[in-house]
Amino acid sequence: MGWAWLFLLLATYPWLLGADLASDTLASSSLIFFVSGTCLVAPCRRLKRWQAVLFAAGIGFLFEARRPIPDGALALSLVAIAIFLSSNRQLIRNTPGMLRAAAIVNVGTCLIWFLASSYGSPSPATDLAGQLIFQLLLAVVAGTLGLIPIALTQNAVLDRLNVPPAPDTP
Amino acid sequence: MDPNRQGARASYVALLIFVALWILVPSAVRRFNREAFVEFQAPALHLLGKSRELATFWEKKSRSVEEMAAAGRDLARINAALEIQIHKFEDIRRENVRLREITRYNVPAEYMSVVARVATRDSSSWWQRIVIRKGRNDGIRPGAPVVFGNTVVGRVTAVHLTTSEVDLVTSPGFRCTAYLEGDDQNHIVLVNGVASNSLGTAKARVSVIPRDYFMPAGQPARVFTTGMGGVFPSRLMLGYLDGGTYATQVGNFKESLLMPSRDLYNLQEVSVLVPLHQNPGEALMQGDQFQ
Amino acid sequence: MKESSDMHVLPSTPVDRLRLYGVFFFFLAGFLYVIGGLVYRQLIQSNELKDQSDTQSRRVVLRPPARGRIYDRNGFPLVDNRARWSVKADLASLQKEFRAEYLRMLAAEKAREAVSIDREKLLEDARVRVLQGWLNKVWFVIDETNRNTKGRKPLTKLTPVTAPAERQINITELRKHLRERRALPFTLVNDLAFPGTGQALTADDGTKSVARFIEQFPVEGPIRLEQDIVRTYPYGAMAAHVLGYVKDTDALPDNVDDISEVRVESMQKLRYTGKTGAAGVELSYNNVLSGRSGWELWSKTSSGYNQTRLKYSEPEQGGNVMLSLDYRIQQATESGLAKLKDPQGNLLPAAAVMIDVHTGEILALASQPSFDPNQLADRVSSKYYDQIEESGGWLNRTTQGLYPPGSTFKVITATAGMRKKVVDWDDVLDCGAFFRVGNRDYPEHEPVGYGEVNLDKMLAVSCNVWNYQIGIRTGIEALAAEARRFGLDTPLLQTVSDFETGGQPMTELPYAASRGLVVPDREYKLRVGAGAWTDGDTANLSIGQGYLLTTPLHMACVAASIARGETRTAPSIIHSLERTGRHPGALPIGLNAEQLASLRGGMVRCVEEGTARVARIPGLPYAGKTGTSEYFKKGEKAHLAWMIGYAPADYPVVAFAVLVEGQSDTNTWGGKTAGPVAKEMLEAWWPIAVKANLDDKPKAPR
Repeated sequence: MGWAWLFLLLATYPWLLGADLASDTLASSSLIFFVSGTCLVAPCRRLKRWQAVLFAAGIGFLFEARRPIPDGALALSLVAIAIFLSSNRQLIRNTPGMLRAAAIVNVGTCLIWFLASSYGSPSPATDLAGQLIFQLLLAVVAGTLGLIPIALTQNAVLDRLNVPPAPDTP
Repeated sequence: MDPNRQGARASYVALLIFVALWILVPSAVRRFNREAFVEFQAPALHLLGKSRELATFWEKKSRSVEEMAAAGRDLARINAALEIQIHKFEDIRRENVRLREITRYNVPAEYMSVVARVATRDSSSWWQRIVIRKGRNDGIRPGAPVVFGNTVVGRVTAVHLTTSEVDLVTSPGFRCTAYLEGDDQNHIVLVNGVASNSLGTAKARVSVIPRDYFMPAGQPARVFTTGMGGVFPSRLMLGYLDGGTYATQVGNFKESLLMPSRDLYNLQEVSVLVPLHQNPGEALMQGDQFQ
Repeated sequence: MKESSDMHVLPSTPVDRLRLYGVFFFFLAGFLYVIGGLVYRQLIQSNELKDQSDTQSRRVVLRPPARGRIYDRNGFPLVDNRARWSVKADLASLQKEFRAEYLRMLAAEKAREAVSIDREKLLEDARVRVLQGWLNKVWFVIDETNRNTKGRKPLTKLTPVTAPAERQINITELRKHLRERRALPFTLVNDLAFPGTGQALTADDGTKSVARFIEQFPVEGPIRLEQDIVRTYPYGAMAAHVLGYVKDTDALPDNVDDISEVRVESMQKLRYTGKTGAAGVELSYNNVLSGRSGWELWSKTSSGYNQTRLKYSEPEQGGNVMLSLDYRIQQATESGLAKLKDPQGNLLPAAAVMIDVHTGEILALASQPSFDPNQLADRVSSKYYDQIEESGGWLNRTTQGLYPPGSTFKVITATAGMRKKVVDWDDVLDCGAFFRVGNRDYPEHEPVGYGEVNLDKMLAVSCNVWNYQIGIRTGIEALAAEARRFGLDTPLLQTVSDFETGGQPMTELPYAASRGLVVPDREYKLRVGAGAWTDGDTANLSIGQGYLLTTPLHMACVAASIARGETRTAPSIIHSLERTGRHPGALPIGLNAEQLASLRGGMVRCVEEGTARVARIPGLPYAGKTGTSEYFKKGEKAHLAWMIGYAPADYPVVAFAVLVEGQSDTNTWGGKTAGPVAKEMLEAWWPIAVKANLDDKPKAPR
């Protein structure tokens, strides 16, 4: 199913929007709920690599679109991670592995986003260390907690689309 | 050999090549890509805003009749007071028109006001912005000032078909001139958004304050727009000088922080003052050098 | 639900592990790189010096401080500082643009198959072109005429022929900048409030162009907005000769002792251009006014641009100086002088001064023609400089101008005569139309003479013949001694120490006349080789003519001394509450009560009904003495109009002197020409004095 990645993207988008909506309430503290990394984990188990790549690029560009960071900085990093995950599916074969991957990937991409905004901004921000730590902690929490509902949704969509289950799942 | 691994290396190489191409490609392509993703999301943002309004509506609907009656009574009082003010202002307006006729001083209405609802807010350590549900289709242009009542909210930085992004006063990309309350000589000072401190409320920096300026005693000094720069109308409120940290000496001037006069993150609705004529700054902004 | 609950271990072939670690390390390295970048950019950057010993990679940038203010005696600022907003281009971040433009131009040259390509020149052209592009954009925004641009209009393109100088990149300046101050940003527009030199803009217009730039020009990019302080003279040309002006200097005070941990001597220092006093009080009190420079310690890149600011200290504003001037009297004085014009409508050169009789503090000091120090404070146009030069505006005529005092000297002749007892206050002399000395007739200015004249009448009508007689009776020795006793040959204004001037010691108002003052006597005439002294010379001296040369300030001091019944008054331009009213070298005038009363009464009569009656002020009786002397201006005989005096007549508070240089063809007379100026000064002073009497001290409005 060649368009699976697109349908999956559409199905994942409400979760991204939900994260934005939740971030809205945190606006005064300059923190956001970052889940873009988490969204990659489940699809990378089942989609073909090229599909996973397109999916990751889509997730990345959706996040970037309204934020003044260098174009593609996040999207292309997500693509690299998607390539890695879909080539090493054994790492995310079971639930603990997926949770671990979600936390690591989410924190990593969050860091990339943070740095990309730092480079893209005209003036260096002050007191970033504390802000970064809070943001990364939030990314860990949001990434792991968000994984389960997101993965459930994504798997349900993939099942509906008749995408075969992860090949090395017994 | 794990079947998953097949072609992984080729994929990385392909990615690297793509990254190189991406950097070399004309900026218009990247801009188009960005625009496309924005427009893709626009309906969802509208939906988001609308659903939030619906939630508010249902929340209001659940109020008791007594509560509503009380609120209606209060409103009636306020209305009565405002009614009187309207008459007063009407007199003043007529007087103003008359004086203008005498002095042959014609000021055309320079702005077209577009009311817009707020869709989402987005803030980070580097920017504070809101997304409003009006865009190019509604005549909004980049660089236009955004206000709420007589308070400056920020400035439009990016305009899409049906949504626009607004940099708040506290965002580092924001810069304007201001007058300080209590400065009889009307020196202009510079207001600049600053990146926020961790978890703290975002503030803006007020710099180039003359060294002999002192805040009026007993009250926070208000900060107003000058109306000189051709972007913001004059005498709009920007906020207050932060009493705690005011006036540290920087070079031959003083510097202070600006507290926005309203909670900019709880706005539901703003007005965009779109200038009727394009100003030079806007023309520059459309140039290729300025993204 | 396809979630696997299989806890199967990972396949662990060595190759797999290796690959896994490879990718893992690849990502780790990437993360470390970006984290490192973040830490460097955001955290370390502002913290501390990395390497204490390396002076090669560092430099100190010195920033000039704001100069102190100069106030008038009531605390009104006469010299202030205003914020200057300038637009600068950050050359380091423009490097890429320079390079791109250079390559483009190089390609074009090659396409033209040019024989020899001067790459150095090409690179310079590229720089100029890029900077010119940015300058055009700045002008596009600040130029009010571009307000309503409908649709997309091309940026205003000015050809090098049509563009005014300020809209073009000055190539010589750019070269100099790249050679000497490469690390500092290059100035595109020096003063946003007054972007065009010689362009008359109101303060409001200036604010507008600053605000237009701030609000409309993109925040990001290589173009920066910088603020500093410039000298401003809120009253323009008022008291310009007292206040002086400032000029550029590269010699800032090296205020780097605070960073002793760094070896400063061996480090490169870059200075922003600062200001130093060039005339007037700005010069004489330069050290008090200048303050301390701020410094910044920067690390630099290999190509010599600034990289990171490691440490800094803010500049410290200079101290303030309070002058004894009262700006209200000063304004009145200058407006009085400004009414003096020759038939062609040009201002007549003139000087006026008013001093406090008791303290000697100068309340007003004006010299005409003058100049506007605002126009000299920043980038003097040579045209304006020449204009001042031509009009003679640099000269402070009050303290530096040397003139024969004419009939105003008669008060000294009379004093000398009475002290020598050759005449008394009630002696009546017969004064005809002329007086013969030797074989020459010395004329009266009234063709028929004045007949019977006593001291009182002499002063009222300014009778020459009375003075010829008394002068010759007194003799040159006593007459010259009296002039010296009144200090006519003594330089005035005390000397300010070299600590305060920051250079050699000088008088409170720089270069006040000292050597040129002449009180002639026998030796003097011999010394200048004009032969032996004659009675004719004595007659001339007795009416303040001949070799006698003095300044208007000296004559004001003579008036003040007579008002106090003393001989000397030490004037000062600095306001101090500690003045005792004692004047160094002052002696009692040496006349008895009747003589002094008669001398003063004559001066009062001079104003009431005599030569100064045009300057009479109803309700304010005051003493005056006019004078009309002859001098040679550009080889032609011309008249000088003088008036000195003090007020009020009964309890003197202020003394004044007015001098006007007449043109050869105008009829200039002491009372008629100088009188109205004196009147205007006194009329400005009188209400202030009355009010001061009522509420003790005048207050500044803040």
